[in-house]
Amino acid sequence: MININAIHKSFGDVEVLKGVSLTVAKGEVVCLIGPSGSGKSTVLRCINGLESYDQGSITINDRQVDVASKDINDLRTQVGMVFQRFNLFPHRTVVENVMEGPIFVKNEPRETAHANAIALLEKVGLGDKVEAYPQQLSGGQQQRVAIARALAMQPEAILFDEPTSALDPELVGDVLTVMRDLANEGMTMVVVTHEMGFAKEVADRVCFLYGGQIVESGDAHTLLTQPSHERTQDFLRRVLNH
Amino acid sequence: MEFSDITAFLPILLKGALITVQITIGALLLSTLLGLLLALMKLSPVRALSLTAGTFINVVRGLPIIVQLFYIYFVLPELGIQLSAFQASIIGLGVAYSAYQAENFRAGIEAIEAGQIEAARSIGMKSKLIMRRVVLPQAIRIALPPYGNTAVMILKDSSLASTITVAEMTRAGQLIAASTFQNTTVYTLVALLYLCLSLPLIFGVNRLERYFGKSAKGGNS
Repeated sequence: MININAIHKSFGDVEVLKGVSLTVAKGEVVCLIGPSGSGKSTVLRCINGLESYDQGSITINDRQVDVASKDINDLRTQVGMVFQRFNLFPHRTVVENVMEGPIFVKNEPRETAHANAIALLEKVGLGDKVEAYPQQLSGGQQQRVAIARALAMQPEAILFDEPTSALDPELVGDVLTVMRDLANEGMTMVVVTHEMGFAKEVADRVCFLYGGQIVESGDAHTLLTQPSHERTQDFLRRVLNH
Repeated sequence: MEFSDITAFLPILLKGALITVQITIGALLLSTLLGLLLALMKLSPVRALSLTAGTFINVVRGLPIIVQLFYIYFVLPELGIQLSAFQASIIGLGVAYSAYQAENFRAGIEAIEAGQIEAARSIGMKSKLIMRRVVLPQAIRIALPPYGNTAVMILKDSSLASTITVAEMTRAGQLIAASTFQNTTVYTLVALLYLCLSLPLIFGVNRLERYFGKSAKGGNS
């Protein structure tokens, strides 16, 4: 479904992606792990065209991801994104945040969009917060609204960019539960995360990035318990012993 | 200061005050529209647009408003553009303040986090829609307090219209003072009337600042 073929990307003189290739099949959950600066968030941002890439190609269902093309907005409706800092619209209520895309991008009737938004908010456990404003919610609640907002577009895949890194430890669980449910329902997911427990339990595949390359990738359990590459071993030793 | 003087002068000054209010509102509207346009131009990725807006803003900010008024009222007729003194004062003040309004709006727009725009893009919103639904509604809240301050400045600077013969409040005061020599009575009245107009505006701005300052720190909005 998502096909990344040898992409390269530089910010000025710094090459942050040095030929990353990755294929994500429909219904698959892939976790990207690695130290900060390894390029994992950049890969994610290239998939839905928030970042352009210099070489290589990315296709979603055989359609080329090209930031400059008119097609890009349509492609983005098919691939949702959840951000580290939630990025909810602070001037709109929770339910308005979720309805925004369906009404203004997909031109759905307001009643349909509202009913769907309420259903999604109940699904993520926030049925009692629909009329609240984002700043009245905890980080964990805000992130679940952000997931509902992404789901409201009925995307074929969702990209998660460190969805729990900005949360207090006691709020991480609720967000991971929602993500686990999504994975079980067959949602295609690419997740940049530091939650090794989540990766081990939920991911079909884990890719370890280092210095702008995928150094090692494979079945989640194997990669996380018996990494073969020295860099992976080193990284896992650091994150698991912290 | 005779009470009979006050009752004699007040109706004339109030007539002037009405014109002062009209000029202020007219110039505020013009500066708002032009300022918003300039702000959007200045932030445009099209270099010709941002350069034009930037140059315009700097030139206008670099000129005394009174010179701009003289230019519009005395020089434009020589180029075949006739304006009444009232029209000239609204256009002059509106154009002069559009430069400051543009900077107010630009600061508001630039204060919006990049994450907001990315989130909007990630649900497939196009640039114009993002501007209308995500950026401007938030930018306006940020720009409102400085906008209110600009409105107060326009109110006070509307007195400059007296220099091109508009019979607004300051000019009305000048005329009465010149014919009655009651300088103290006249200018005290003029000053008090300006305060009657500007103080409510200033209190309003202060309230806005407190209100939005609180919500920006994560309170309820």
